[in-house]
Formats: sequence, structure tokens, C-alpha cells
Amino acid sequence: MATVQVSEAEKVYILHGIRDDLRVDGRGCEDYRHMEIETDVVSNTDGSAKVTLGHTAVLVGIKADIGKPRPGVPNEGYLEFFVDCSANATPEFEGRGGEELGTELSNTLYKVFNNKHSVDLKSLCISAGEHCWVLYVDVLLLQCDGNLYDAISVAIKAALFNTKIPKVHISADEEGGKEIELSDDPYDCMRLDVENVPCIVTLCKVGHRHVVDVTLQEKACSVASLIISVTHTGTVTCTRKVGGGSLDPESIFEMTEAGKRVGKALHAPLMKLLQQEESLGKTRQKVGFLG
Amino acid sequence: MLKSKTFMKKTRSGGVMKIVREHYLRDDIWCGSEICTECKQESPVLQRDPSIESNLCSYPHYVIPDTNVVLHQIDVLEDPVIRNVIILQTVLQEVRHRSAPVYKRLKDIIHEQEKHFYTFTNEHHRETFIEREPGESANDRNDRAIRVAAKWYGQHLEKAESEADALKVVLLTNDLGNKQKAEESSLLVYRCEEYIKSLIGNPELVDRLLLFTPLPFLCAFHLHDITSSKVLFPEHLPLSRIQAGIKSGTFLQGTFRASRDNYLEATVFVQGEGEDSTEVLIQGLQNLNRAVYQDVVAVQLYPRNQWLAPSSVMLQDEGAAKDDNEEDKEEEDEEKSVTEAARKPTGKVVGIIKRNWRPFCGMLNLSQIKESTRHLFTPADRRIPRIRIETRQAATLAGQRIMVAIDGWPKHSRYPNGHFVRSLGNAGDKETEQMVLLLEHDVPHQAFSQAVLSSLPKMPWAITPEDMVRREDLRHLSVCSVDPPGCTDIDDALHCRELDNGNVEVGVHIADVSHFIRPCNAMDKEAANRGTTVYLCGKRIDMVPELLSSNLCSLRSNVERLAFSCIWEMNHKAEIIKTRFTKTVINSKASLTYAEAQMRIDDTTKNDDITKSLRGLNKLAKVLKRQRIEKGALTLSSLEVRFHIDSETHDPIDLQTKELMETNSMVEEFMLLANISVAQKIYDEFPDCAMLRKHPAPPPSNYDILLKAAKSKDVEIHTDSAKALADSLDMARVDGFPYFNTLLRILATRCMMQAVYFCSGMDTDFHHYGLASAIYTHFTSPIRRYADIIVHRLLAVAIEADSTYPDLMDKQKQSALSTNLNYRHKMSQYAQRASVAFHTQLFFKSRGILNEEGFVLFVRKNAIIVLIPKFGLEGTVFFDAKHKATPKLVFDEEGPTLKVEQHTFHIFDMVKVTISLDASNIQHQKIRMSLIEPVVRTISGVSVPAPVVEPQAKKPKLDR
Repeated sequence: MATVQVSEAEKVYILHGIRDDLRVDGRGCEDYRHMEIETDVVSNTDGSAKVTLGHTAVLVGIKADIGKPRPGVPNEGYLEFFVDCSANATPEFEGRGGEELGTELSNTLYKVFNNKHSVDLKSLCISAGEHCWVLYVDVLLLQCDGNLYDAISVAIKAALFNTKIPKVHISADEEGGKEIELSDDPYDCMRLDVENVPCIVTLCKVGHRHVVDVTLQEKACSVASLIISVTHTGTVTCTRKVGGGSLDPESIFEMTEAGKRVGKALHAPLMKLLQQEESLGKTRQKVGFLG
Repeated sequence: MLKSKTFMKKTRSGGVMKIVREHYLRDDIWCGSEICTECKQESPVLQRDPSIESNLCSYPHYVIPDTNVVLHQIDVLEDPVIRNVIILQTVLQEVRHRSAPVYKRLKDIIHEQEKHFYTFTNEHHRETFIEREPGESANDRNDRAIRVAAKWYGQHLEKAESEADALKVVLLTNDLGNKQKAEESSLLVYRCEEYIKSLIGNPELVDRLLLFTPLPFLCAFHLHDITSSKVLFPEHLPLSRIQAGIKSGTFLQGTFRASRDNYLEATVFVQGEGEDSTEVLIQGLQNLNRAVYQDVVAVQLYPRNQWLAPSSVMLQDEGAAKDDNEEDKEEEDEEKSVTEAARKPTGKVVGIIKRNWRPFCGMLNLSQIKESTRHLFTPADRRIPRIRIETRQAATLAGQRIMVAIDGWPKHSRYPNGHFVRSLGNAGDKETEQMVLLLEHDVPHQAFSQAVLSSLPKMPWAITPEDMVRREDLRHLSVCSVDPPGCTDIDDALHCRELDNGNVEVGVHIADVSHFIRPCNAMDKEAANRGTTVYLCGKRIDMVPELLSSNLCSLRSNVERLAFSCIWEMNHKAEIIKTRFTKTVINSKASLTYAEAQMRIDDTTKNDDITKSLRGLNKLAKVLKRQRIEKGALTLSSLEVRFHIDSETHDPIDLQTKELMETNSMVEEFMLLANISVAQKIYDEFPDCAMLRKHPAPPPSNYDILLKAAKSKDVEIHTDSAKALADSLDMARVDGFPYFNTLLRILATRCMMQAVYFCSGMDTDFHHYGLASAIYTHFTSPIRRYADIIVHRLLAVAIEADSTYPDLMDKQKQSALSTNLNYRHKMSQYAQRASVAFHTQLFFKSRGILNEEGFVLFVRKNAIIVLIPKFGLEGTVFFDAKHKATPKLVFDEEGPTLKVEQHTFHIFDMVKVTISLDASNIQHQKIRMSLIEPVVRTISGVSVPAPVVEPQAKKPKLDR
């Protein structure tokens, strides 16, 4: 992870600020930075979204492919996550520098989505035991400015919302051979229900308080942080502690409560925004990467 | 402006891929009309005054056909009357997608300037591009695109209109829904039939309309038609089921080959892996199930106990042109008593994978009902079923050769339905018959398209200084060419000179056609498709445009020409010391005929350079020939006939068997030598992709007939090797029968296999049996053979005189190309033979009845085959004529001999026959041969009724 050097005086300044609920950039402890979301930015994916949070920028693309269901769950499709830390984001990622972080991020994503409720996996099944849709979720880090988890989770939710899976039907002949037939109408496609897709809220313990959406400077002052994935109803699907320091049970409880609160508050405007963008249809002005 | 087109595709492995293409829209696409002032076009295609008169549209107008109109009515569009048509890009793309042959024809029309067809790229035009909407099928979207473009044209022309008479556009569609929608948006729209029928003064166009009614109309109007008829054939299975069946092995895929002799029988050739290909026998109308010759079909095998043997009966479909429902009864009386051994795998056609219909030549059988517009058409090829067509000009068409295309074969119809395409002229006319011959042998003979001609060099053409730099200048050498009289496509020239070291330098100079025909341009593609120049009696169908074949590439005398030369240094024993290949510039000093060259050699008073060179060549050629024969090369014989053609009427007035002179063999020897040298060079350089020619050794069983024939005259023939065969043929002489040796060689020729082109990377056996050479190719006639052009290119790359291109090094593509060349080559030979046969008929027509001597060449169960050396004519004399008393026939397979009453016929017997033309069947005119000597009497004492002879002027020449 990209690190910044913070002097002792700066640390004290940041710590004191947070103690008084006023952060360096003027935010309160539970405030996010300015966030921008755009969907359908990569035309040759089935769904994509780009999210910028402060200076953090991530791009998520989703490709749907036909695969074989996992043996344990023959009537469900599945998701695959891959996080690519491009050297664009920070020079440290050059070569294999980003690999470790990428694996850590994707492992976390597997955990977050490892439950029946976040995505309806049954709807991804084409024919039980034989064919199902596999959604390859590819995350590309474009710029790192702290709080990657939150940005990625929001981008994944937006991209899943945007995903259009072509409709297929199975034609069977009497010999028992099954053929998958693809609808030739590009508009004839299936959408996913993303209502229950969780968002990740990362809370960082700074001094005696905890803050959301840390910048790199704030991160440097923190010893431990808690990752909480929360659905729109406030259900926690996964928590994880990262960082070298320790957290006492009481503050974990406090942080979880705060995470639920923040997460719930994050979902509502996000869904509203996505639906609003969708309703614009073709009249939407695309911004893309140069805008 | 950028748009992106998105579509989904299933990949081969079963995955799904999303493909996104960028699509740019422009505002500089012009409308193509002369009338328009707004568009900045340089040479508008559509005329200011489109003069086509129609009852429906009395105003001047342009026509926009939709895709189905183009697909189904391409015959109409090809008519010169139809002009000023706008072909939308949408239509063009759809046509291309749906039918490659129609697409090619459409492209040809568009290239033709007089037709004034304009391609409007509406898909890239800013104002006519539309995106597919949700819920809209691809077809609906295309229909909408067509309507939008038509609408745009209407408004655009209106805007540009200055004169009073408004130019309009008329949309032609056969789709009811499309028509309605077009009317709603106030477009001028007609059904194709309506429009064509409304054209004033062109009634024959109506016949060209396709009989087939597109589905929406079919449902609307003709529903009762279908339900009322009884179903004659089983339904074809849908393609998906066929594919599944082939995969699982229940069905076999193969090419349908109808029998020439029996219309109720066919075989399906199933290509297996490697050698194991099978033939499946199909018998009976139901089992044939509407398959037509050359279709790719799926067959289902019957269980082994239902297998049949091919019937030996000749059956011709003589069914009257009445109604379909009248079923033929002959069908059932087949001989059921067949031996187990004769049984073959038998099956039935369950579905058609790919139709291979083309327009067929033939003649009309008039319906007995006078007013009827429905007639049956009998194709010239007996393997094609008769076709029902609708025409109102039957009276005119009777007695003419016409072309008919099949439109479809509904399951309730005994015959396929078709429509009239065009008339070729009166049957029996030379022009017409020649056309039939070319069409039936699939010889591409159309004039070269504009695209091809545009790749010709600009005239006046001269050798540029750059050419001179890259080429060796051999203009000072006394090069000359030796060819048959009247030859205009001279592709080889020779020279020979003494060197200072006592050796001889011999050069073979071949026209450098590959200099003019560059890879992959239109002319190259056309030549690759044509494959070879076809020589008919009195006509030549060129492979490359005449400017090249008879002028720029032809090595005529006293002009500078580009050549590709193969130059050897030899000693006087004709042993090659050095070989080199180089691109050169030559200036031939003389174009001689064989006879002229011979005269120069023989005339001892002449001592100029050319004559000396010829003498040197002749001397070496003799040595080369002797060496070749020692190695076991075969000299086989076939009778070649030349017609003396009357210069005014172009009728044959006399015929003459070709005479061979020393100079013939002189040229041949050096061509063989050049071919072998080049073959070795390109194989050394490109072992994987050299185009070579091989002549496989025939299987021993092929020689049976030759051995038996020789044995009957107590002559022994050895066939263990080419050398043994050549030697024993030389030894075979019978006293008092000078023609025996020639006859034997003719027979030996028939035992041979066909020589073929192949790609060296795809085969391991390169041997050329007839020439006794380990490797061989064709290098010396690039003007008339495409294989030579490829060889030239390979050689040019090998000597670094030219650059290569991917297809040249791709052995799969090379192999596919050789398949086409072999096919074209075979067809051109058939066409050539058919042309000779036709001219023979013309000759006998003018000569009346002739009595000639001939020899028995083969003895069959019920006939003898007689060869008349004087005309090179071969015919079968049948002894069992239809409806007549058959004389007692005893056939002995050992001899083989045939005993007719008292007289026994042996091979090589001399007989006397009467030859006359039998014109009773105008489509299949025959030469009738009847026996005069020896007289064969039947028991009742009446001489055998004049047996009929099939016109088989076959002279399979051993083709090197």
C-alpha cells in the first residue's frame, strides 16, 4: 500500500483534529470524501463502473461467461474476483509489487460475497449441473489515495447493477445433446438484483476515535482498522481486522455500530444515483476517462 | 461521429463473447445522382433521366430493391432493361451474408457501367444510420434502415430538384409488413411482381420472376394450394437435428450423385477419413427425397437386410408433363433377386445440408394443354431432374436451348419448381451448343469484369528502365518460338548457342506472366478461379484478358518482351553442367510453326543464326528423348483430330488427324527439361509448399484389358514397371497389321491414371509415371495455366527476384488451389471433347451417310466399341436394340469375345460400318453406326436393325 511519511507534529495535529471531530480536509469522522460514479464505461464488458473517491480511482469490469457449476452447488453460478494493481496507481506496484495487495483485496472480496444473500446465484444457473454463468469481476486500481476497500465495493455494486447478461435458452434434441442458443437481440438480456450487495466500510482507529474513508495521511496515524461489509438493511456479512495494532472489544463493538450506520446511509443514495443514471438511457452524456 | 456496434457471439468452445465494433458515421457520402447539386460527387452513377417506362410509375424514378428482392430476383435485375437502381449497403451486406453466388452476381452488375447501379453506403451515412431498438429483430432493423434510406433519398432528391419533373425513388419489397410500414411513412412502394409486370414493352421479364412466393404472401394467399395437394415426399429434417445426427453417427453426410442412366437411383459419396470413403446407394423417389445432383445431403442407412444392389436397368424419366399426382409405376418393378454379394449399403436421404443448385441448360417440353403456362423443362444433364416452370412464351422457347434455375422443391410436388433465366439460342446452332457446352462443364466464360480489366497495365506499354535494371538483357540472342499454326498466345521461346569452352548454352524463355498478374488482385483471383484456358474447336476461352494472353505476354517476334528464363549449360551428350533461372528481357527473332521450323532444319542451304540454333536444339532433343525413353518414359498414343474449318461459315469441312513432326518433340523435350529443373529447384527451396504435378502408377488391375487384348494376338505385355511396359509396347508388332501397335497404345492410354497438381507439403509420392521422372511441375505455359503462375512466383522468390506473400507459403491454401485447378482442368478436357464431338456431328451432318473401316476396340456384353482411325471417332454398336428382336448373344469374358449368332467378335477385328447422324432427339444428337461387314443375320434372316451408336469421340490424351 502506498505510504506517506508523516512527521510527529503532523501526527499530533491530525490526532487532535480527529479527537475534536474535525479532520484535516474539514470532514467529520463519519463523512466520506467526494465520490463520483459512472457506469457502462467499458463497452466490451457486460457491465462496468468507474468510481473515484477523493483521488482514489478504481475501475470494475464484469464479464459473463458460460462455465460449469461447482460440484457442491449444481444449481448456482459463481463469481470470480481479480484485482489488478496497475503501476499507474502508484510506482510501488511496478513489476510484481502490487501482487500481494491484489491477492489480499480479492481474498477479502471472496469473503464478502461468500453468502447466499448478496447476489442471487441461482439466477445465474442455466442448466443444473451443466451450465451456469460465471461472472468475472475484474478490478483495476487506477489511483491510490486511501480507502481502497470502500471504493472497490461501491464500484462492484455499480458494475453488477449495470451488468447485462445475454439471455440464452437450451434446446435439447432427442439424442440428449444440449445446445445453448443465444438470443440474437442484443437488448434481450437479464439484469441482476443488486439490492443486497453489501458495501464495505473501513473504519480506522485513530487515537481514541475511529474514522471512515481515511486519507493516506490519516492512515499513517492509525494502528489498526476494521473492515465491515454491510448490506442496505444493516446486516454485516463480513468483518476483518487489518493493521498491526490491536483493538479492544469495546471499540470493536463501537466501530461495528458506526460501520452499520454509515453503510446503511451509503446504500440509499448509491441506489438512487444508479437508477437515475439508468433512466437517462441513451441520452446520458458519457464522461469516460478523459472527462 | 463514432458509434459502436455491439453484438453477442457464441464461440466454438461454447462460450459467449461480446464483440464491439467501432462504427463511424460520415457526412461526405454522396447520393450518386446526376441531378443532385448538393453532393460534391465527381462522377455520378445514376442518370439524370432514368428512362424506364412503367404503368405504375409514370414519372422518372430510381429503384431501391430490398434484400429479398435482390436475392430472389437477381435474374431480373441482371436484365439490361433494369437500370438506375440504388443498392443500399444494408441490402448488399445481407445478400453477402445469405448467398455468396448472388452477391457475386450483384457485384458484377454494380461494376457494369451501363447498368447504372449505385451502392449507397447508408450504414455510414450520418442521416440514414439507425440503431437497433429494444425488441426489434435484426431483420426488422434492416427493413427499417432500408425505409429510412429510401425516405432520405426521396427528400434529398426533392431538395435538389430544379426542374419541374420530379425524380422519385421507388422501393421494391415483397414483404407485406415492410410494405405497409413504408406506405405509412408515405414512401412509394410496390411489390416486385407488380412493378415488373407494369413495365411497358418487356413482357419476357415476367418469366424471369421467381416462382417462389415469399412466406408472408404464401400464408396470405396460397394457403389452400398447399393443403389441397397430397404430400409426396417425407419432410426434410431441420439442420440442427441433422447436425446432431451426424455427430452421433446415425446420419452420414455426403455428396449426392444421381445416376446418369436411372433416374430412380443415386449414390451418396461419403468422404471418410483417409482412404475409407463409402458410397451409399439410394433407390426410389421417396428415398431420394428431392435431393438434386451435387447437393450435400444427410443420409440414414437402412439395416443390412434391406440393402439392395444397384439395378442395371436404364430408366429415363419419360413421365408426361401432366400432373404431379400421377405416380410412375415403373418404380416398383425392380429386380429383387439380387445376390448377397452385389448388395451395397443402402439408405435414404433425410435432409439437405447444402443445396448446390445452379442454373441448368436444357430444353422445354411443351405441355399438351395448349393454353397452359406450366411446362416441364428437361435439362441436358440426365442427372438433373426435370423442372417445372411457368412461362407464357412457351411457343417461342420450344426448340431453343434455355437456362432454368430451380427455386424450390415442395414436398407435394413431383418435380422441382423453377423459373426461366435466359435463352441461349436455337438448339443445334453452333453458338448455342458452344454456350451449353461451357455452361454444362462449369467453364467460367463471361467477359472479364471491369475490376479485372482495371488491373491490366496501361497501354501503350513499354519496358521501363527499372525493369531493365532488375533483369538480364538477352535481346541480342537469337531466340525463336515454335508453335502450332495460328497460335497467338506464345508462352515459350528457345535459343541455343555454342560456348567458347565447347559446351552449348540452351535457354528456355517463358512469358513472365507473374510480372503482370500480381498476387491477390482481381485479375489474379479471376485467373485462379478459371485455372486454365479452354480450347474448343474454333474458340478459345482465355484465362487472362486478351491484352496479356495475345499481346503483352505473348513472346511474339521482333518485340521486346519480359521473360522468365531457364538457362542450362550442356555438353554435347546433353548432360546438364549448370542450371540457372533468371528474369530476362528477350526479343524473339522469329515465330515459327512446327512445319516452318522443320523446313529450316532440313533446308541445308540455310545457315543463319536461327537455323543453326534450331539444329543444335534438335540434336540435343534427340539425345534427351533417347535418355528419357531409356529411363522408362511412355510414348502413348491417342488420335487427335483437327477440323478444317470453313473461314466463312465456320463449319467443319474436313478433318485430319494431327501429324507429329520432329520439331514437335524438340519443343516438348526442352519444356519437359525446364519443368523438371524448375520442379527440383522449387522443391529444394520450399519443401512444404511447392506446387508440383504427379502421375501415379496405375493399379495392376487397370492393365487387365490391355493384357487380354494383347494375348488375343499372342503378344506379351509386361506391366511391372513403366520401363517394361514401354519396351514391350515397342516390341508388340503383328505382321500384316500395321495399325496394331497404335491400337495397343490407345488401349494402354486408357489404363493410365489422371495426372494431378498437388502441394508438396501434403503428399509424399511425387513420382510422374508417364514421364518416368521423380519430380515434375508445370512451368512453361503461364498464359494458359494458373499452376504455372504459382510455380513462377515460387521460383521468383527462390531466386530472390520477387517478394513472397502469405498465401503462397500456406500449404492448406495451396492444396485447396490445386483441387480447383485439377477440377477446372478436368472440366476443360471434357468440354474440349464435347466440342470435338459436336463438330464431328456437324461434319457428318454435312457429309450424309458414310461407309468407313474401323477396328473393334472393346467387346462388351451386348455391344462392341468401334474405333474409326480416319476420324478418330469411337462409337458403340449395340446388338440389343429396344423393341426389336435381340439376336442370340454369347459373351465370353476370357477373350473377351462376343458371339452374335454365328459370328464371333474379337478385339482388334476389322469391321465396316455406316456412319450417319441421328437427329431424332434434338437435345442429344447421336452418331448412328451400323454394321455392314461382317453381316450378322438373325434367325429369321433379317439383318440386325441398325444399331445405335453413342457419340463418344473420346480421345483421352495422356495428359502431361
